[in-house]
Amino acid sequence: MATALDTVKDYTEAEYKYGFVTPVEEDRFPPGLDEDVVRRLSAKKGEPDWLTEWRVAALRRFFAMEIPDWQKVRFHPIDFQAISYYAAPRQKERPRSLDEIDPEIRRTYDKLGIPIREQEVLAGVAVDYVFDSVSVATTFKRKLEELGVVFCSMSEAVREHGELVRRYLGSVVPPGDNIFAALNSAVFSDGSFVYVPKGVRCPMELSTYFRINAAGTGQFERTLIVADEGSYVSYLEGCTAPMRDENQLHAAVVELVALDDAEIKYSTVQNWYPGDKEGRGGIYNFVTKRGACRGKRSKISWTQVETGSAITWKYPSCILQGDDSVGEFYSVAVTNNRQQADTGTKMIHIGKRTRSRIVSKGISAGHSDNTYRGLVRILRSAEGARNHTQCDSMLIGDRCGAHTVPYIEVKNRTAQCEHEATTSKISEDQLFYCRQRGISEEDAVALIVNGFCREVMNELPMEFAVEAKKLLGISLEGSVG
Amino acid sequence: MSVAANRRRVDPDPAFARAFEEAASRLPGARFPELATARERAIARFVELGIPTQRDEAWKFTPVARLVNRPHAVRPPSEPPLERVLPHLLGGPKARRLVFVNGVLQPQWSHVGGLPERASIESLARVLETRPTAVLEELAEPDQGRSFTALNAALTDCGAWIELSPGTELADPVQLLFLTVAGASAPMSHPRIVLRLGAGARLALIESHVGLEPGPALTNLVFGARLQEGATLAHDRLLFQAAEAAFVGRAEVHLGGASRYEQTTLALGGALLRSESEVSIEGGEVECRLCGLAVPREGEHVDTFVRVHHRAPASHSDQLFKSVVEERGHHAFAGKIFVHPGAQRTNAYQKNENLLLAEDGEVDVKPELEIYADDVKCSHGATCSELDPSALFYLRARGLDAATARGLLTWAFAAELLGRLADPSARAAARRALAARLPAGAPADEEAAA
Amino acid sequence: MLEIQDLHVAVDGRPILKGLSLRVRPGEVHAVMGPNGSGKSTLAFVLAGREGYEVTAGSARFGDEDLLALEPEERARAGLFLAMQYPVEIPGVANMYFLRQSLNAVRKSRGLDEIPAAEFMRKVREQARLLGIGEELLKRDLNAGFSGGEKKRNEILQMAILEPRLAILDETDSGLDIDALKTVADGVNRLRAPDRAFLVITHYQRLLDYIVPDVVHVLADGRIQRTGGPELARELEERGYEAVLGGRLAA
Repeated sequence: MATALDTVKDYTEAEYKYGFVTPVEEDRFPPGLDEDVVRRLSAKKGEPDWLTEWRVAALRRFFAMEIPDWQKVRFHPIDFQAISYYAAPRQKERPRSLDEIDPEIRRTYDKLGIPIREQEVLAGVAVDYVFDSVSVATTFKRKLEELGVVFCSMSEAVREHGELVRRYLGSVVPPGDNIFAALNSAVFSDGSFVYVPKGVRCPMELSTYFRINAAGTGQFERTLIVADEGSYVSYLEGCTAPMRDENQLHAAVVELVALDDAEIKYSTVQNWYPGDKEGRGGIYNFVTKRGACRGKRSKISWTQVETGSAITWKYPSCILQGDDSVGEFYSVAVTNNRQQADTGTKMIHIGKRTRSRIVSKGISAGHSDNTYRGLVRILRSAEGARNHTQCDSMLIGDRCGAHTVPYIEVKNRTAQCEHEATTSKISEDQLFYCRQRGISEEDAVALIVNGFCREVMNELPMEFAVEAKKLLGISLEGSVG
Repeated sequence: MSVAANRRRVDPDPAFARAFEEAASRLPGARFPELATARERAIARFVELGIPTQRDEAWKFTPVARLVNRPHAVRPPSEPPLERVLPHLLGGPKARRLVFVNGVLQPQWSHVGGLPERASIESLARVLETRPTAVLEELAEPDQGRSFTALNAALTDCGAWIELSPGTELADPVQLLFLTVAGASAPMSHPRIVLRLGAGARLALIESHVGLEPGPALTNLVFGARLQEGATLAHDRLLFQAAEAAFVGRAEVHLGGASRYEQTTLALGGALLRSESEVSIEGGEVECRLCGLAVPREGEHVDTFVRVHHRAPASHSDQLFKSVVEERGHHAFAGKIFVHPGAQRTNAYQKNENLLLAEDGEVDVKPELEIYADDVKCSHGATCSELDPSALFYLRARGLDAATARGLLTWAFAAELLGRLADPSARAAARRALAARLPAGAPADEEAAA
Repeated sequence: MLEIQDLHVAVDGRPILKGLSLRVRPGEVHAVMGPNGSGKSTLAFVLAGREGYEVTAGSARFGDEDLLALEPEERARAGLFLAMQYPVEIPGVANMYFLRQSLNAVRKSRGLDEIPAAEFMRKVREQARLLGIGEELLKRDLNAGFSGGEKKRNEILQMAILEPRLAILDETDSGLDIDALKTVADGVNRLRAPDRAFLVITHYQRLLDYIVPDVVHVLADGRIQRTGGPELARELEERGYEAVLGGRLAA
């Protein structure tokens, strides 16, 4: 009779479905990184001088920094000179309509289940498609423009909305924040830009789908979302990459700014290639994500489902500056085989009556390591601040590790912080109970894992919940009640 | 060493090395060349390691260099009057006791005679003089790069060596009382306690660190205990240092199968109280309970650092640490539970509760789990808040004024830990110290009852 | 329907069942009574296919299938239902969602389509009402934080929805007060049918006042020691296991 462990093994050893390579002609820089590369990159994108110099300054900071060693994850030293910092499908200019897109690229997104078109499957979601270093398409642009919502590639934003970009770029994650943020600031190629004007509730989900295709490159996209007073936007991010023996670096920066009464909901389903069973290959996902609740009563909510990458190392954070602002972090991180995840959040309470809520669910199997690392900092000014943190780990098998590393720093007596953490496993009793009711062992594991993560899955927008649940090996049959 | 690693250390004040040179010849066991060599190596190691800064993860919340990196004197003589010592003599009339002042044994107040044949309690200075090789072995423990342990190894001047043979039980507690009389001399002492309990042996130990005069001082303790199968150790620790004094202590405890260890620490005074406990559970059916209360105020800083390692299946550990932080007080708690591979059926719990009562106090908490076995029950919970407003309201609705209500609730919160002390006289002493610290003191009727 | 022949079962190498034989025909209600440690729960678990119960000899047939060769879910889909003494809690999985997954798994194995949501809801609500299970309990996580009585009622609700051919009730009366006992027993009695059999495992006779069995077996020391009608249960209640079994218990 199969044990819980075997079942999980079967089910987690299923082939990575997104591991194919698309044969496109590409335009790329030779490997290497210096000021000249950065200047050429900036010139290629036709950027204004201020941005070129901003990049060069960031590069200088990058060269002066070291990779920190406080994290739990361990990896081979990264040779930053062996990476090509620009790779893009060759195209004369960005296609003006969706019909002009390279059929190979179109086929790629079809295969990934997110066809480039403005109907059927993705009705109600506007998508920006980022292929290696560049954005290849954005849907529903016209419709959004009518509302004044700007949703475009970062390159386009630099051209068309230079002042907005200049005002906010690096204002949440300064170039010198950490070594990967510095690298990104120097070499970011593209990404998405969103601006939601005052009082506008963005009527559809905005989504970016990131795809690394080329070998020997990294992906360094930059996302900036600004929600003006009283606005609302929900943004989704998905990602996949081909299976390769090399480790590819994904060092993105995401900055969110919410002004008075604005709300940003940012969801990620991360499924970068995790490497094979022995831990060969896979993406190093070293991402800096941070949101600033600048305005009063603003709200930023991060939801992430992390199943991919050889190494995930990221802490989507909220700076709760505005009085009565709210930060949320909901996370599911699944690691298997030799994967390592060190992820969590930072909630920095500055404003009065700021509130934060953290729910983290870590599931480790195989030889993997799964760490929650979080910081809740309540500054002296944060009168009446509240935080509640719940961290649950599930271990499947006795060769994996689950770790919880929360930091709580409180400088205001009127604050209330609560942190709880538990560990559990799928018990043989639970499995037998499900099977006695006719549910197969495989489905039972999925059912129990999904139950364990439900609090987080409920936070995902419907369109993403589908993919996320599939990733956890769970059918979407609507939950009754 | 990389740049990043460098910032984790600062060079020790040269006074440490000077103090060592000046004192080396009069430290216990100085006539044994091997011991002298080991001490020299240790001071060199300390100078090399330097003093940790807040970039060192283990010292993240504590600016230890600022508080201890200054000149101190080794064993300056002092003779406190008996009446100032008496209140700190604990464990009842039949307790065995070693009393030290600024690192020097005080035979007039010490008493370790009349022990069963299979038990021995010796002053560490005596062991250094009579059996230096035993101490050398103890000092030769693997170098973990800990500055203060190296400093202790260089300057070990007092402490105790306690051994109970299998099955031996001491009916009365043993008290180790370390008195510091600061005065103008800024004394430092480096006690080392070695404790060996044979299978089934039982001991109640009261460890007191008391400051009698305000002023800069440093106590740098290393405590090492090994409990064999089924041994029991009740370990009450009272840290009552005086203003400006610093205490840095590290306890390393190894627990054999079915042993029982209960440690309760009351940190009630001192500019810096850093208390490290690292417990290694090496057999099954172990019961390990670690508790502590810290009440820092007026610039005091208490840093509680706990590591519990479950290295064998089917053992149980439980931690309860609380703090009441008054004006300008700072409490840091870093507690970690490790469940090593193979330690299945481990039950490990940790609770950390902090009452932050002052505008300018600070609480930093880092409760960690690191788990490598799946069939385990582990949890931790941490809270930080003011007094519960609904409880306050309830008491006021019953006619208590706000100050009384606050005092009552604060006392109730803190007093739970008094009950965890094993020895009644230690409990009474801690009760007095706690009542003196909390603005409202102890509730009146309880006072009468106690 | 169920035919057990000379069944020997060991747990951790220790023999628990030592040659148990039992035959249950459609429509019958059999009670298996026995003192603590006689092997009652072992019988229930080995029939349902729980891991850790090693069959060292003997056979068990369910209809025309070799029951012991099937995986637990195959037994369930073939119509064997075990109402457990300690129903398991599964946090995060809604009670009704679980039941629907379970029902659809069983239906699928029988070549039926998934049950339409509306029909499912109607069925569940109807049964829940009969069992005194409130709407709120249906929405809560499976058994999580349920009281003992709520868990047992929930087991009967699952049984009513899954409509098994053979239902094994393992100490269903334990931890129930008298009102709950009646509700649960009524639930079972409603399900009695010519093509459905019950194996009621219990220590006490009181459940059998409400679920009147056709046959009563006394299990002790891993074997059926006596078989009789409902009067045997009353005799046990009055005189105790020791007196009824006499010297056989010691053996």
